[in-house]
Amino acid sequence: MTTALVLLLLAAGAYLVAVLEAWTASGRFRLAAPVVAGIALLGRESIVPRKPDRIFFEVAPVLLLLSALLAAAVVPLTPDLIITDLATGALFINAALVYVLVALLMAGWGPNGAYAMIGGWRFLGQLIAYAMLIVMPITAVVMRAESLLTTQIVASQASLWNIIYQPLGFVLFFVAAMALAFLPPFDLPTAKGELAGGVEAEYGGVRLAVFRLGRLALIITLAAATVVFYLGGWQGPWLPPWAWSAIKILAVTATMLLAGHAMPRIREADLLGWCWKLGIPLALLNIFIVGILVLALP
Amino acid sequence: MSAQAFFIGFFGLASVWFGVVVFRTHSMMRSALALLFSQTALGALFLSMQAEFLGVLQIMMMATEMSIMAIFMVMFMMDPGGLGEMDMTHQKRLSLAAGFVAFAAAVAAAVFVDWGPVASVAPDAAQQTHDLGVELLGRSMLIFETAGITILTAMIAATAVAMPPVKRIRNK
Repeated sequence: MTTALVLLLLAAGAYLVAVLEAWTASGRFRLAAPVVAGIALLGRESIVPRKPDRIFFEVAPVLLLLSALLAAAVVPLTPDLIITDLATGALFINAALVYVLVALLMAGWGPNGAYAMIGGWRFLGQLIAYAMLIVMPITAVVMRAESLLTTQIVASQASLWNIIYQPLGFVLFFVAAMALAFLPPFDLPTAKGELAGGVEAEYGGVRLAVFRLGRLALIITLAAATVVFYLGGWQGPWLPPWAWSAIKILAVTATMLLAGHAMPRIREADLLGWCWKLGIPLALLNIFIVGILVLALP
Repeated sequence: MSAQAFFIGFFGLASVWFGVVVFRTHSMMRSALALLFSQTALGALFLSMQAEFLGVLQIMMMATEMSIMAIFMVMFMMDPGGLGEMDMTHQKRLSLAAGFVAFAAAVAAAVFVDWGPVASVAPDAAQQTHDLGVELLGRSMLIFETAGITILTAMIAATAVAMPPVKRIRNK
């Protein structure tokens, strides 16, 4: 029952993300646009390119969707609305989302196309850049909660949200989450205009629909994870817990989509340079500061 | 047969099967990702043995490691797509013999070693994570720190070797 409800909410969330994404990209707010686009995609032919690696080509969109769904399974929307409250929840989110990389590598290699392959390998470089900035801020969050349970992480923010307790970690995690979801300005693997869609270039029809759905689920899952780690999860006055979760998740999603909208696409080497020379020292500093705070403030 | 025994057997066999696929395919990419799924199946095996932290860690770490290995295999092998149907095996008799000896040794170790009393009930997952943390910061700290420093040194050395030598311009 809980699983079905969470999946339903995730689908609704993915739909709203699609509306928001179209709104930030084109400036027009149209509630029916994703339905129209979805029907159009399902109606089109799903072409299989010449000499593909058929297994990778077919598996990639499904794996992308699956990894986002698995990560969503450990994200609590209310104290009870969580599919499975794993004792290693905060680590499990990482483990599931790493398979986004595997899916994109498959989508890059599978179709036997140059643009797709460049897009796929680019995302590997992108992972080398953002991976530490996902893991190290989560480490600091876990240090404060003294638990990997995601519900415990939300409970630890009852007095003060982590966005105020460790703002540095929030900024790093937020940027890294955008890079993980390959949102602009980190849309290197798809890179419309430059790679003609990159990993999406050779997909069409129902396969592309699944791929895009997976990407939307990924965005909403990452926004939900940001809310759980930094914005106090379901906590808030007056409104019921589910309403707070929904409001916060949509606000984070909208911020993610708007933040990158006006920025030029970052270059691969620059991304690596910024992440390793600036991001990782800052993440270590964040862990150090949180360590002192945890010891100093009982 | 309990569900746990079934899943342990299932993931064990899946791991071995993907391990075989590594050498049966001609494509470097398939080979690398088959190795990844072999390791992922091992992670799932840990999960079904109620070692949650180990399992999740295995599933997470291997995905990045094998993906990075994949790009190196594609870069350095002469036929990454496997269109020329390159054989992934060599020295077959020696490999077969070595494989059988190693398998026999592993089975012998599993059967004949006195493992002491076997825990009938595993502690719950949160307790395991806690105990692992205490262990890492206690008795095992020196081992892990030594390994960490060694790997870091190797990484710095490898980067230094890979960098092109700087040409010094002398003023004449």
